[in-house]
Amino acid sequence: MPFDVDQVSQRLGGRTVLWLTETDSTMNDAARLAALGAASGTVVGAERQTAGQGRHGRSWYSEAGLGLYFSVILRIALPADELPVATLALGLAAAECITQLTGLAVDLRWPNDVLVGERKVCGILIQQQQENLICGLGLNVNHTAFPEELASIATSLRLETGREFAFEPLFIDLILSIDRHLEILTTQGKEAILRLFTQASSYVVGRRVVIDQGETALRGTTAGLDENGFLILQGDDGKRTVVLAGGVRPA
Amino acid sequence: MTIEEIREIIRLVTETGVGEIEVQRGENRVWIKRQASEPPPLPYVTPVAQPVFAPAVPPVTPPAASGTPQTPPSASPPTAEEKLPVITAPIVGTYYEAPSPGAEPFVKVGDTVQPGQVLCIIESMKLMNEIEAETAGVIVAKLVPNGKPVEYGEALFTYRPI
Repeated sequence: MPFDVDQVSQRLGGRTVLWLTETDSTMNDAARLAALGAASGTVVGAERQTAGQGRHGRSWYSEAGLGLYFSVILRIALPADELPVATLALGLAAAECITQLTGLAVDLRWPNDVLVGERKVCGILIQQQQENLICGLGLNVNHTAFPEELASIATSLRLETGREFAFEPLFIDLILSIDRHLEILTTQGKEAILRLFTQASSYVVGRRVVIDQGETALRGTTAGLDENGFLILQGDDGKRTVVLAGGVRPA
Repeated sequence: MTIEEIREIIRLVTETGVGEIEVQRGENRVWIKRQASEPPPLPYVTPVAQPVFAPAVPPVTPPAASGTPQTPPSASPPTAEEKLPVITAPIVGTYYEAPSPGAEPFVKVGDTVQPGQVLCIIESMKLMNEIEAETAGVIVAKLVPNGKPVEYGEALFTYRPI
């Protein structure tokens, strides 16, 4: 069944939704549209991505027809230094939507990996180009298996529930949940998002983790978020570090 | 789907350089493919509502000395009395000189950059902020090692405006 763009767009109040049969990455398409002035809220999705993007040159495994792969263009009226908190808000949005639709208990691994158990079900990335935020989201929906190198770290809604899911209701609820959480961010401020994130994530306080910093790795116990949403790590060497970015993994 | 909507899609496809697009509305499916001979997509359009960075020091326009030939801007180190403008970090994050590990850096010392050209990425949580040149210039120095944290307002590059 092809993705029913008409139904989806209607349910989202006539929002512009472009759905491509195939593209390299919806991030590139959305960035081009954003640069041309496409409205905030415009979505570009694809049934198949040949080069789905992850963080900093990593790829996102995008098997045709099994996952939801889309990018949303957002312009948020916040100072530049508060915009990164949107990554936490998007993680919360996806986690809440998945729980409500599937009944699964989900966890958030800072900053915004959505996990079921220890396995990742949804990945989120934002690229900022001037005032445009291009927010990419990949959700593993109906996969029954993953390639060997991903099998221990990835999962899908179907693998976790034994059920198949239609894409349209998932997509609609994800977009509405994103809208709601961004509204919390812009109206109640970043503190509200940090509070919700701290409640929703087992990674924020008291978690033993290793943090990949490229050439080095930090090992320690998490000690909450700072006022900007960065993760505080109480290192095993006694030093406290503010983690700005980087892969957080259980130790 | 109305003819206006189809026109709009064609306009987007033409302007964005998307090679191929399929849009479905109810029973209607439109599939548009650009010819390979089309001109390349338009360069990045930059109507800046909120500048991503501002030079910490206003660019100094070199006096157009009459009679003497003007030397082209170079990447040579600044002389003692010369104060070159810098490009600063708009957010706290990790500085990356290249789009992915091992890839060619966005810019090297001596490169001439144009407004809108990406100079580096600062990653903050999982937001990758592409820092762009605001004015044309020659990169004189890269001030931060790849992968290092930067503070708000920290100088990333010095450049000589053209």
